[in-house]
Amino acid sequence: MSRAAAGVALFVLASRAAPAQGVAVTVGPQFVLASYREVASGLRYQGSGFGGAASARYRKLSAEVGVVRLTLDPATGSAATNGFTATEVDAWVAYDLATYASVEAGVIRRTADPEFDAQSVGAVRIGARSFYEIGPGATVLFRANYLAAPKFSGGGHARFSVDLGLGLDVRLAGRLHGTAGYTFQRISRKTNPGGTGEIDAAIQETVARVGIALAL
Amino acid sequence: MSRLTRHLCALVLLAGFAPPAAGRAQAVQNATLRRAQQAYDNLEYRQVVSLARAALRERLTGAERARAYELLGFTYGALDSILKAVDAFKQVVLIDPERQLDPNRVSPKAYSAFDVALRQVLLVRQLRIDSTSFVGGRGAVPIRFTVTQPARVVTRAIGGGGGGGAGGGNYVIDSGAWNGQVNLSWPARLASGDPVPAGNYTVVVEARLGQNAFSASQPIRVSHGSVDTLPSLTSLPGYQYLPETEVPPQSWRPLGLAFLYTGGALVGTLGLESSSLGSSSKRELAVVGGAALVTGFVMTLRKPAPRPAAANILYNRLLRDQIARRNQDIAKENVARRQQVQLTLVPLPKPSGAGPR
Repeated sequence: MSRAAAGVALFVLASRAAPAQGVAVTVGPQFVLASYREVASGLRYQGSGFGGAASARYRKLSAEVGVVRLTLDPATGSAATNGFTATEVDAWVAYDLATYASVEAGVIRRTADPEFDAQSVGAVRIGARSFYEIGPGATVLFRANYLAAPKFSGGGHARFSVDLGLGLDVRLAGRLHGTAGYTFQRISRKTNPGGTGEIDAAIQETVARVGIALAL
Repeated sequence: MSRLTRHLCALVLLAGFAPPAAGRAQAVQNATLRRAQQAYDNLEYRQVVSLARAALRERLTGAERARAYELLGFTYGALDSILKAVDAFKQVVLIDPERQLDPNRVSPKAYSAFDVALRQVLLVRQLRIDSTSFVGGRGAVPIRFTVTQPARVVTRAIGGGGGGGAGGGNYVIDSGAWNGQVNLSWPARLASGDPVPAGNYTVVVEARLGQNAFSASQPIRVSHGSVDTLPSLTSLPGYQYLPETEVPPQSWRPLGLAFLYTGGALVGTLGLESSSLGSSSKRELAVVGGAALVTGFVMTLRKPAPRPAAANILYNRLLRDQIARRNQDIAKENVARRQQVQLTLVPLPKPSGAGPR
């Protein structure tokens, strides 16, 4: 059985089992816009891609996962000559502390292809988010995560790495939701190439995800 | 006063002695008594006395006999022979104890003579038992009667057992010394507390004073039925469920929140941008922030979503609990009611020929 078939089978099983267990599940595709900068202001990329997101909620516990695949090309005026493809996986698990706030933890992993055209990053997320229902079926969300223990494919370390997010979920009709998400990521990476001393090799990325989701 | 005026006054005075039931003369079969009635109508009192006495020596029905004595009572009253009038009226009430005179239609002399006669004879009059229905043990049958002299009065219910009073029980309702109007209540229960068996009874009121005794009776029918059960409540009178959600008033809050959240993302982005990397693209924030602001604006214009009304929910819960508690009580009450008996008591017409002893 292929991975796709297994995924579909798992999805169908989950869609039938989730409501019975009192679990609210949404899943859907996303269109993604992204900007990426690395090391210096001249090295900047812009691109778009597609992805998918799924979320689940059981009482005060919620989980969210998103996968996007981006094709980033050098932006106008960029010093970069070649683009690359990035695959980013984000995952969160959150616990509601109040009707409008929760703490969350998760992981982020972004890989670049070709491998050395951009930094691949992996980190643990720790943070909080605030959400508010601004109308019938419409919720806005703001999150701030600290990216702990980041790892880079090119080495180096980052003492300060944050990830800010703005989210929107609107019930369009019945089980169909419209979703939008914005992520700003700043990683203050430092490297010490050849032992000549640390230099800044910061990474900055903004991502906008727009999609639809089906509530199961 | 002129002679004519005096004659008119005498006529008016004499008209006061007119017997109230003049129509009875038509039912009188005895010729002598009819003549006595005519003589009374013609104010020939001497002739009334002789004819009435002659009629009493003949064979008369009870009603005719009572009528003859009544004519004598009125006539003696008109002739100012009060003692004789009282004696005549005594005979009337002994024959017909329920006889009543209308004080508006008879002369005061005749009425007072009749009243004195009533007090000199031991009678049980105006025995009344009203139709009633009640749950066994929770009500009583009202019994009213009048005793004309102070006497020992025993009230009984005789009969039962389903038919005609024969072969039934004898239940003492009351025993006491009474005079005048008497009101009794009979719970219609046996000594064990059970209701008296269904059937026909005769309520007998027996008054005794020395050697004199008098009794009156009234047949009644006692029937048993099932007690109506109470319906369950779905609501309490005067209390209604309140809506458990309420629509908050329309406000700019949704747009304000969208601004707040979008502003937070914008401020965070601007504040955290790396100086070495330069200003980042705002295209992504514009897309998502714009969507959030548009959504906030739309939600501002839309009718707000109903939200739970905590006080109403609590009130409804209390109301539901109260109704459930009342229904439990009703269910218990219905269990008890199904074991109870509805007694219905109806007075029956007295059989013809029945009279006082």
